Amino acid sequence: MSSQISTRDKLLYIVDDIELIAKEMIENAIAPKHAKLSGADYAQLTELLVAKDNELKDTLQLASEQADIDKKMDLLKAEVDRQDQDINQLQKQLKEAEQILSTAIYQANQKLQSIAKANKRPVSSEELIKFAHRISASNAVCAPLTWQQGDPRRPYPTDIEMRLGFLGRLSDPVNGHLLQQQNSLSDIHRSGHPGGKSKFLFTLCELFTDGFVLEIPASQPNQFAWHPSGEIHMGVGQGSVAMDTRNHKQENEDVEVMSTDSSSSSSSDSQ
Amino acid sequence: MDIAEQQVDPNRKITVDELNSDILPVIYEIIRSIEKDHHDNTVKTRESQDCSLRVLELQKRLEQVRSEIKLLPGIEFSKEQQLSNLESLKTQLKLKQKLLQKYRFLVFDVQQS
Repeated sequence: MSSQISTRDKLLYIVDDIELIAKEMIENAIAPKHAKLSGADYAQLTELLVAKDNELKDTLQLASEQADIDKKMDLLKAEVDRQDQDINQLQKQLKEAEQILSTAIYQANQKLQSIAKANKRPVSSEELIKFAHRISASNAVCAPLTWQQGDPRRPYPTDIEMRLGFLGRLSDPVNGHLLQQQNSLSDIHRSGHPGGKSKFLFTLCELFTDGFVLEIPASQPNQFAWHPSGEIHMGVGQGSVAMDTRNHKQENEDVEVMSTDSSSSSSSDSQ
Repeated sequence: MDIAEQQVDPNRKITVDELNSDILPVIYEIIRSIEKDHHDNTVKTRESQDCSLRVLELQKRLEQVRSEIKLLPGIEFSKEQQLSNLESLKTQLKLKQKLLQKYRFLVFDVQQS
């Protein structure tokens, strides 16, 4: 198949042959008498020329048929190019779809994992609500809805509230009966703890643990209320019961920090 | 530079009908004028001049045929090669159409698990 010459080359070869034969014939015509070809040879040459001319015409006919086939091939090629474009377009769309689907599957898997994880350790919604309420009841997480600029309320005990508390009224003679109560308790402890500084710390500790109950006027009538003594008091009936949310050691550490810390930012805020 | 070559645009395509392949008459004219034996010298000189012109014309004609052959479309291959190319092109088209048909209307079965 590959040894077949193209029609174009065939035509060019025929034209070259015709040229050669023509040159021979003309040279023979102008040559002197002794150099001329014989009649038979000349006749042969002439026949060859005519044959070549016929071959040229036949090959040209073939070329015209091939031109028609070439036109059909051009149409087919255009069609094939259109299909190629469609295939490329489809490929892009499928690729995009695959990406979207793989992202969706990945996210769905993650969700399933988190669902399984949550199911392993279920928490009752009641408990969650209880804790959320405790955390947000003191308005430390978010300001009260009616809070405006100039509102004296703060998410921490202000100095006014501290002064109204037990520590603030420690030197107040009106508060004597409570102080006596505290002294009796401190006596019990003093016998076991000879150190002066530690006595002071323990007294402070008692103040916190047995804490003077001061209801915050703006607090909502709910079960839990945060008190400046640093504890959460749960309302039971008419009184309130202190709830140990922290251990005493932690309170001691806090007390130590507070006693040694000279700078205080609270005083600047309560205006 | 031959003027005929300058006028020919390489991208132009011609049909076989437009091609002038009559070379034989020119050759015949040349040989006839050579073989004519004139007794008159002036006529002879004139004839020889005409003869050389005709030879040049023959050369020009041959070059023109060659350049026009190069402009003919669809003759890069032999007839058989061209037909096999056509068949392969048809097959290619069919395969691509089949491919598109297959994937364009693909229906994804969602498994109900």
